[in-house]
Amino acid sequence: MKKTYMTGIAVVLAAAIVAGLAGMNFYAKRHFVEDIKTGPNVTEVFKLSKYNENLAGTVADTDVYVLKGEKEGGSLLLLGGTHPSEPAGHMAAIVFEENVKVEQGTVYVIPNINNSAFTHNDPLDGSPQYMHFTTKNGETRTFHYGSRATNPIDQWPDPDIYTHTSGQTLSGSETRNLNRCYPGVKDGTISEQVGYAVTNMINTLEIDMEIDMHESSPEYAVNNATVAHERAMTIASEGVLDLQLEGIKMSLEPSPVSLRGLTHRELGDFTNTYALLMEVGNPVQGRLRGYTDEKLCLTGEDPCYAIAYDLKLLYVDYSAGNFPMELRVGRHLAGINAYINAFNNNSDKQIVVSGIPTYDEVVNGNLGDYLL
Amino acid sequence: MTAYFITFVIMVGVFMVGCFALKLPVGVSMMIAALCGAIEGGLGLETLRMMVEGEFGYVDTILTIGCAMIFMKVIEDSGALDALSSLIIEKFHKAPAVLLILIMLIIMFPGMITGSSTAAVLSAGSIMAPVLALMGIDAVTAGSIIAMGALLGMIAPPVNTAALIICAGIDVPYVGFEGPLALLTFPLAILFVLLLGYKQARHLDYEKLKPALVEQDAVRKQYGLKIYIPLVVLVLLMVVFKVLKLGEDIGMPLMFLLSAVTGLFTGKKINVLQAVPAAIRTAAPVMGILMGVGMFIEVMTATGVRGLVVISCLRLPKFLWLVACAVSIPLFGAVSSYGACSVLGVPFAYIYASLLGGNSVIVLAAISLIAAVGDMMPPTALAGLFAAQITDVKPYTKILKRCIVPIVILLVYACIFLQFSKKIAVLF
Repeated sequence: MKKTYMTGIAVVLAAAIVAGLAGMNFYAKRHFVEDIKTGPNVTEVFKLSKYNENLAGTVADTDVYVLKGEKEGGSLLLLGGTHPSEPAGHMAAIVFEENVKVEQGTVYVIPNINNSAFTHNDPLDGSPQYMHFTTKNGETRTFHYGSRATNPIDQWPDPDIYTHTSGQTLSGSETRNLNRCYPGVKDGTISEQVGYAVTNMINTLEIDMEIDMHESSPEYAVNNATVAHERAMTIASEGVLDLQLEGIKMSLEPSPVSLRGLTHRELGDFTNTYALLMEVGNPVQGRLRGYTDEKLCLTGEDPCYAIAYDLKLLYVDYSAGNFPMELRVGRHLAGINAYINAFNNNSDKQIVVSGIPTYDEVVNGNLGDYLL
Repeated sequence: MTAYFITFVIMVGVFMVGCFALKLPVGVSMMIAALCGAIEGGLGLETLRMMVEGEFGYVDTILTIGCAMIFMKVIEDSGALDALSSLIIEKFHKAPAVLLILIMLIIMFPGMITGSSTAAVLSAGSIMAPVLALMGIDAVTAGSIIAMGALLGMIAPPVNTAALIICAGIDVPYVGFEGPLALLTFPLAILFVLLLGYKQARHLDYEKLKPALVEQDAVRKQYGLKIYIPLVVLVLLMVVFKVLKLGEDIGMPLMFLLSAVTGLFTGKKINVLQAVPAAIRTAAPVMGILMGVGMFIEVMTATGVRGLVVISCLRLPKFLWLVACAVSIPLFGAVSSYGACSVLGVPFAYIYASLLGGNSVIVLAAISLIAAVGDMMPPTALAGLFAAQITDVKPYTKILKRCIVPIVILLVYACIFLQFSKKIAVLF
């Protein structure tokens, strides 16, 4: 009996030590404040809770960076970090906010739209927790690599089935996927509250165009693509043509009417904005990937995807055997530029910006060079 | 890729040694295998974080299992199980085939509304086990009927978690699945229950059975209808929150607990301080397995072993893809059937629905049925292990052996749907 008690105490102690050490790690991740610097041309920073007061004081109350030009014009909203496991959108938003000057019109940038999802990683996914970049000055800047979904600490438990406000049913865990929660619910789950805030912000500020930046598994059919709401098709098709002429392959997909809760569907339906969503291939989130770490996240080099490419199972050109962050961020920045130009060609209002790093500059350089 | 293979061999090797040579519990063997894989795979300081993070992948399932076992123990100790068994036999003994089909549908019901075979086995399965025994069906066959019913229940409409996981992986809305899932599951359910049980149940003689039902009849008379209240409460809560969707879903764990609480006042006296620990002790090995599975999958993913497994399946010649799908997904289910859906189900869904141009709804429905078989695969074998537990069958593999023919039929049936998805889609 004495031996059993001793074994029990030893097991409990060992469990407490493991829980303590892991808990410290999770606590640090949860409370890590990202090193996002306010760019020299940012004219205002406000909290998203301005458009849904229920978010005030919560982890989801993220920063909105405003770049307002001297002349009145059109407006654009850039969403990064809808899925923090797709980091190119997050980094593209940061590069934009820290580098770009808006001459005419207004650009709103939200690099961490699902801020809660940045504070943890998906169980069973073996993801890295952070990404590091070295700037021109030799400084190391650290950013979150997060989860596809809102942190269960902020929204739990998941229902067996998630029923979207439209009545569409999805897997229960999708209730924490921000990009299935639009147009949102003011006092709903925290993900729905964020969705509502974005919808309300677009309606209140009468934002003309919205671009949601994502990444997708290389084996996923909607890849290196722009998905557009039907009202945004003219702008999207013109932008895609521009990108093709620049040698950047981009396909155009219509927003499916039957797939609800996504930005390109709901923001198009529930606001007057031109809703666009960009996808770029990213091996670190794919199901075929091999060793998973920060290096894979930054370089996209993966032997399993190289084999899958040879087997013709991929929807991206993986002939180089990698898909680096610079390429992914460069595509997003080029896309933003192309869609701004297309918007200007199709609207009385104008958005004039300068300082967006070009695709070639980003692809041939280091991303850290474009961080302050 | 060689490095991934070495890690794979080490993880599987350590697991086998732990399980079979050292006779360690399955969950502990998986944890040690994951730890060795993480160290060999070079996860370094990340090892601890990833192993704990992996456990969190199954927190909800573990809660459901724990609460379901408490509910089970309460209705067993209160006499509700005995009373219901005798009632069902009394009402339906004249038509054993109808009775068997009815029992099968009852077993399936909790799985149909929760998408979990475990919920089906532990709730309706445990209620039907004594009924099957009273019908003269031996324990192994009864366990097999319950296990197969639970597998089909988790796939049958309206809720199919396996399909939902794959839907989320390839952005297909969970719409239009009711018909295909019904066609996939209900014919098999009727076939399997008759195939497994009719031979033994057809000579059911109620008069001969009566003396064996004395105790159960006494409980029914003593407590009357109120003894069924916990079961009615559970069904009501499921219908209200899962079927009618009135209000916010309170979740299966709370439903089981609320039903269990009512059971404290509706039948024989229950000592809560004994019943609850006994229930959790029964569920502990399976909860341990799930925690081990979580660590195992997380380490597999981080070290590249998961990628190796998936790409090895996809490297097979195209004409072998169907076989690879029907074999690899259930085999991976030995680790976790939901894990198999995510790891292998999604890539195969891409292949059949996208690359080969099949009908996505039929393809996903068929793959989800194949994935359900994973719940019969040792060592996790959630459906099989719990079915063995409630029918007192040891070892569980006796049930697996009895289920081999139904499983083969199920896989062939699912493969037909997968291969001819476009033609079958015309029916809906």
